[in-house]
Formats: sequence, structure tokens, C-alpha cells
Amino acid sequence: MTESRATLEMIAPTVDEAIDKALEELGLTDDEVEVEVLDEGSKGMLGIGARQARVRLTVKDSQPAPRSAAQAQTPADMDNTMSIASHTVTELLDRMGIRAEVSCRVGAADEEGQTPIIVDIQGNDLSILIGKRAETLNALQYVTRLIVGKEVGGGVNLIVDVEGYRERRERGLRELAQRMAQQALKTGHSQTLEPMPPGERRIIHLELQNMEGVRTESTGEEPKRKVVIIPDEGEQ
Amino acid sequence: MKELIEYIATSLVDDPTQVFVSQRRQGATVNIRLEVSKEDMGRVIGRGGKVAAAMRSLLRVAAANDHKRANLQIVEPE
Repeated sequence: MTESRATLEMIAPTVDEAIDKALEELGLTDDEVEVEVLDEGSKGMLGIGARQARVRLTVKDSQPAPRSAAQAQTPADMDNTMSIASHTVTELLDRMGIRAEVSCRVGAADEEGQTPIIVDIQGNDLSILIGKRAETLNALQYVTRLIVGKEVGGGVNLIVDVEGYRERRERGLRELAQRMAQQALKTGHSQTLEPMPPGERRIIHLELQNMEGVRTESTGEEPKRKVVIIPDEGEQ
Repeated sequence: MKELIEYIATSLVDDPTQVFVSQRRQGATVNIRLEVSKEDMGRVIGRGGKVAAAMRSLLRVAAANDHKRANLQIVEPE
């Protein structure tokens, strides 16, 4: 046996974000890895001399190899995870006093070719389950990921959605990104969007990553972090 | 409400036999106390308190359904 241990280094504006991104990439939870902070980063003065945080994650010995890539998932694994996922969400909703129908499906592959498990919740007036800036929905998704992950012994790529909220929101965000990018190009001024959670900021960054003439950045601290769309020419 | 916290906590800890949840009403507020073994504290609190925050979010919905407010206190065994 060789001592090959999986490690991953990640750079992000803050230590927490770097860890989150790295865990997401590995498909593991934070108790399955050792975290080493290589550089805490610094905000610098007025954006001058700002340095990103750098962390290194090492998968703990007793853990199976990272199974973030869909490769490790056999169809039987997937079926099993799906039934645990819908069971978990049903149990949670039941104890929250919410009557709704829960179904589960395999989502479309993302840019990295990974297929998430999507748990759909349908019912009447479930806006209470979404909450302000999807805070409640994200909490439900986070708890579900932890419970299912513990059950199957690894990280799970799982999305919890209520009445198609995430899909609608994603479409809305893409449109917003395009509109604000046009605005930035037209005026030559940077456009700052409202604060968004990491997953939503990612949609904006991805939407504009190949657009000529603008680049995107995130500024501020969670949970008030926002995307700025910056035109290549003109004032910043 | 107690059942929600009980379910989440027992699902996340290594030692579910040491999960104790109690609930006390105080007017429109329900105070919930969650006790887990010392070793499992990290699992129900999470890095930066993320798990605890998520439990409180979900608890808020459960309480609102009942026209109440809820507090969640997480304690180590004495």
C-alpha cells in the first residue's frame, strides 16, 4: 500500500469560502477531511494588497476515495441514495408540520459532468419553506445532505427544491446577469448586484465567464457578499 | 418541534443513545434544549455554527406553523 492521500488546495476570498468550495469539489463533509490553512488572506487597504485565503484539505485515512465524480456512483448506489434522500426530506417536513409531496429524480449533468439528485417538494403555499433569500430552503438542503451523507458514508450531490423555485431563480439570475452586464458595457461603470448566497453568485459568474468586455468578482463578507460586474474599459 | 430536533440530532451524531431533547413552553415561546455527548457536539453545531443555524431555521418554520416562537439551546452533558 502506498501512502497516497488525496489532497486539494483551494483559493478563495475567505478561509470559510475556500473550505466550502474544496469540500464541494471533493464531495465530502468537513469531518471527513483535515483542513490546513496555508494563508488566511487579507483584505488589504481599499482593495490594494488584498490576498486570497488558501487552504489545503487532506482526506482522512479511513475515508473512501472522494466520490464527488459521478463515476463512483453505480445505478444501484444512486437508487439507494435517492430513496434515503426522499425518505429524509419526508421525515423532516412531517416533523416541521408541513404537508407536501416529495419526489426524487436525477438532475441534468453540470459543467463537470456530475449528476445531482434533485428532491422536489410540491404542495400548497410552501413559500414558508423557501424563506428570505432561500434561507430556509438552503437550511433544509444542508441538513438533508448531512443526514443522507452520513447514511451512505460519503458526500452527496443533492439539491432540494420547492415548487421549481431553484430553476425559476436560476433563470431569473441568468437574465439579471445579462442585463447588468449590458448596463456595465453601456455605461462603463461597474454594476454591483444584491447580496446572494454562494450558489447564486456562482450562477452569475458562470453566466458571464465567457462574455467579452466584462469580468465578475465577489466582494464583501458572507452573508452580504455580492457580485460586481466590471467592464474592461472605463472606470472601476 | 421537539421531534424535529430529535430526528436531526439522532441522525447526525455517532451516539444517538446520548441525545436528549426537552421542551418547555413559556407563553408563546417554546424553549428546546438539546443535549448530546461531548464527542458529538461538533456534529450538531458544525463549522462556524452552520448545523445549529440550519436547525434553528427549520425549527422557526415548525414553530410558526404552530403560531409560536422557538429557541434552541445546545448543551453538553454535565
